Amino acid sequence: MTTEQTYETVDMMLNMGPQHPATHGVFRMVLTVDGEHVVDVTPHIGYLHRGSEKLAENETYGQVITLFDRLDYVANLNNELIFCRAAERLMGIDPPERGQYIRVILAELNRLASHLLFIGTYAIDLGAMTPIMYGFRERERIQNLFESVTGARMMHNFIRIGGVKEDVPPDFVPRVRALADDVQRGVEEIDRLLTFNEVFLARTRGVGVIDVPTALSCGLTGPGLRASGVAYDVRKDYPHEVYPYLSYKVPVGENGDCWDRYYMRVLECYESLSMVRQCLDQMEEGPVMAQMRRIARPPKGEVYVHGENPRGDIGVFLVSDGTDKPYRVKVRPPSFCNLVALRPMMRDAYIADAVAILGSLDIVLGEVDR
Amino acid sequence: MRSKPVQLAIAVVLLVGVGVLVAVFTLALALLGEPGDDVTVLTVGKIVIALFALLTLVTTLGMSLVWLERKQLGRMQGRVGPTRVGPFGLLQVVADGIKLLMKEDVSPGSSSKAIFYVAPLLVFVPSFVVWLTIPIGRDLVVRSLDLGVFFFIAVSVLSIVGLILAGWSSNSKYAILGGFRSAAQLVSYEIPLILGVLSVVMVADSMRFTDIVDAQASVPYLALLPLAFAVFFISGLAEVGRTPFDIYFAESEVVGGPFVEYSGAHWAIFFLAEYVNTFLVAALGALLFLGGWTWPFGELEQYPAVALFLGKTYFLAVVIFWVRATLPRLRIDQLMNVGWKMLIPLGFVSVILVAVQRFYGWPTWTLTLMSVAVLGAAAFVQLRLQRSDAVATAERYAQHAVAVQPSRSRPAPESQQA
Amino acid sequence: MIGTLKGMLTTVRWLLRRPVTAHYPEQHLPVQERYMGFPALLMDDTAGEPFCTGCMVCVRECPTQCMSAQMHDNPKFTDGTSHRRKIINEFEINLNRCILCGICVDVCSFDAIEMSYEHELASYARAGSRADLDLLLEQGRRYMEMSGWNPENPEKNVAGVALAKRAAAAAAKTAAGEAGPADDSTEGGE
Repeated sequence: MTTEQTYETVDMMLNMGPQHPATHGVFRMVLTVDGEHVVDVTPHIGYLHRGSEKLAENETYGQVITLFDRLDYVANLNNELIFCRAAERLMGIDPPERGQYIRVILAELNRLASHLLFIGTYAIDLGAMTPIMYGFRERERIQNLFESVTGARMMHNFIRIGGVKEDVPPDFVPRVRALADDVQRGVEEIDRLLTFNEVFLARTRGVGVIDVPTALSCGLTGPGLRASGVAYDVRKDYPHEVYPYLSYKVPVGENGDCWDRYYMRVLECYESLSMVRQCLDQMEEGPVMAQMRRIARPPKGEVYVHGENPRGDIGVFLVSDGTDKPYRVKVRPPSFCNLVALRPMMRDAYIADAVAILGSLDIVLGEVDR
Repeated sequence: MRSKPVQLAIAVVLLVGVGVLVAVFTLALALLGEPGDDVTVLTVGKIVIALFALLTLVTTLGMSLVWLERKQLGRMQGRVGPTRVGPFGLLQVVADGIKLLMKEDVSPGSSSKAIFYVAPLLVFVPSFVVWLTIPIGRDLVVRSLDLGVFFFIAVSVLSIVGLILAGWSSNSKYAILGGFRSAAQLVSYEIPLILGVLSVVMVADSMRFTDIVDAQASVPYLALLPLAFAVFFISGLAEVGRTPFDIYFAESEVVGGPFVEYSGAHWAIFFLAEYVNTFLVAALGALLFLGGWTWPFGELEQYPAVALFLGKTYFLAVVIFWVRATLPRLRIDQLMNVGWKMLIPLGFVSVILVAVQRFYGWPTWTLTLMSVAVLGAAAFVQLRLQRSDAVATAERYAQHAVAVQPSRSRPAPESQQA
Repeated sequence: MIGTLKGMLTTVRWLLRRPVTAHYPEQHLPVQERYMGFPALLMDDTAGEPFCTGCMVCVRECPTQCMSAQMHDNPKFTDGTSHRRKIINEFEINLNRCILCGICVDVCSFDAIEMSYEHELASYARAGSRADLDLLLEQGRRYMEMSGWNPENPEKNVAGVALAKRAAAAAAKTAAGEAGPADDSTEGGE
């Protein structure tokens, strides 16, 4: 009998999610941890799979828009816009200019709402309780505006193939101007509260760094890629709608860490506000819907259209067989593609950093799982 | 909702209730004999009554902090906080407590049942026992020990054991992580806390709380020892796990840490212990640094003195909650860095400064001077580094941004074309 | 440190401001004019019957198949008090399935269905959110009162207007027909 025993320390498997408060829905990370250090991470997805792409094959083009509302459920109008643009490209329709302005205003406001939600939930992930309340307060104003324009607060079904459902209410322009001023103040308040807070900086600077080659090879897009230093923005590089008429800045980061990804979104909030104001200045009276048949029936063919969602580059591949229902709809969801970068970012991370890194990717599970 | 006057009446009744509690506590103390008395059934009964009065008082004060925190956080976040149960939501805590007590008490199947159920008591009992020596008025103390401060330090450390056992016995990975974190955090922040208290003890030349308070009758020690106060307050925050040091039950990381598997009454005890501890830190701050029940404008009657002490305590509690409303949470390694590389050296500096002043018999105002100088130097360095960094970063990022000019010119409006 | 102090100033400033919370059961925030609540059926008061003829287009176009409808012959048509040959007999919307997209309103050519302002329809039973014809008409009544709703196409859809128009056309025809053959005059009533 020997009294000598050898002890072997094994890494611990830690299931984070699908019911963990910091995974923003039903995302599951299996962390292999050595004490507080994260050795490896395996993402598991699919808990919110609803088969949207397959469902879309059995719905008419008008009905598919309601499915797109439910992909990225914090940026609904951006999703509607991308599908409508794809169908329009296929049908060769050009929406009237006023319709395009309304679309862009609503899409930029929705980007703002999405970023405000991101800032709030990111602060919650890092343990600060207040920014989410401020963010929700401003988002509430934006949603009230959406309610007065589209009739719904989240699932709008407002952007239609060939334009928008109906013209904006008469008090739209002054109302959006007042809203833009209010939201600007709100964003500044959150900015002051959080951005250069020492604890926040300590938690996010140099955490989850990803360099440009890795980011590009992972297919990272949106604020995540811009934070690494690549000025890729679909609005800038593939002009569409009325974006070419606007002047704006594409913020670009330096280090590609969590703080940069956060700060890109704060800066984009200001840019979105300026874009909304420019659109209001330029908008003129006119029709909002193109002349077209009531039931969309695109000719046989296929098209790939992409646009800039709050989370990155969203793409829609649409195949039509000439009927009133799409033959195939494939979505390139930015959240899903950004998740690929999770593993390279998790190098040398602590458990607390894992939460910060996942939060900085700003995934929406409705879009990841579709 | 009831009408405003009725609500105000209930609020007054509740306030009077706290006063009555203090009065009952005073009476119970009068019942209590001296240490030298013979142990009879009567004295034991009296002690039980006195302890029960103390428990009720401490619990009520702890619960009042729950209400204060929820209300204050609500207002700071643009919300209203609890409003439904009782006037201004004052009875919300009671309702929550009743709900928790009536809930099913679940334990994980693979947990070590005995330890699992004892752990909450191991956390709560130390935080209650220290109140035996903490006065809420000049004569309102169960036992004014000669080594009161020492007793507090010795007993309050014990609650760490409860947290680790709770984390271990739950047999849950999040709980064990939380238990490890609490062990690391509480043990390392105990040292700067003691160093901060030690400075006060050296200046006051006593470990008895009443002596320390009486020594501050003219000048509170906050004015003499701002450095020690800063060290004490920050490590006190960490000691009771308030934001930004709430890493051992961080809900977005370890989902409640050691408490994750607890429910019902056992969770309620943890919850209560947390707030009693918060009240304890605030009360200690008031006693050791803000002058307790004394103020520079003369002697006070007993009840106004208690009110003054409670006011100072609640003020410190408000500051604690204010910090919570603002700051994110630190990471475990940063927490250790703050503790070992910043607070402990500053604590030693504080003790050494006091020692030098006592040894050479310099006038007391030199203490303030030295303290402020050290604090100011630290703050200045931090400020310089950080400010230029923040401003420069914002400017740099603004310059980085790629400006996009309108690439297409819009056709002039039709009205201008004609 | 300056960032922390700035943040603390930001939070403490809110102690003096009014909270933005609305106390829900006591205080209902007004819905916007275009608000899309649950769909409701509208009543044609000139004929005392719903606008809906049960043409099933909304049932077919609904993305979630939340509706079902059944039509029958309209007795009032034979009385001559309505211009609708068919009228809705049963209509049911499963409000649990409805996604409030408003497609049914877009496709309806009889002005019969509208997105009402109803949004507080919580019920204790799972089947409690199946709205039948009576409930839908009641909601529609409330919506008409709140919004001052007017039919988009009264000449086609409102019984009183449509009947009057036909009667006028018939009268004109009769007046014109007095010179010509009088055989067609009886057809005008339909």
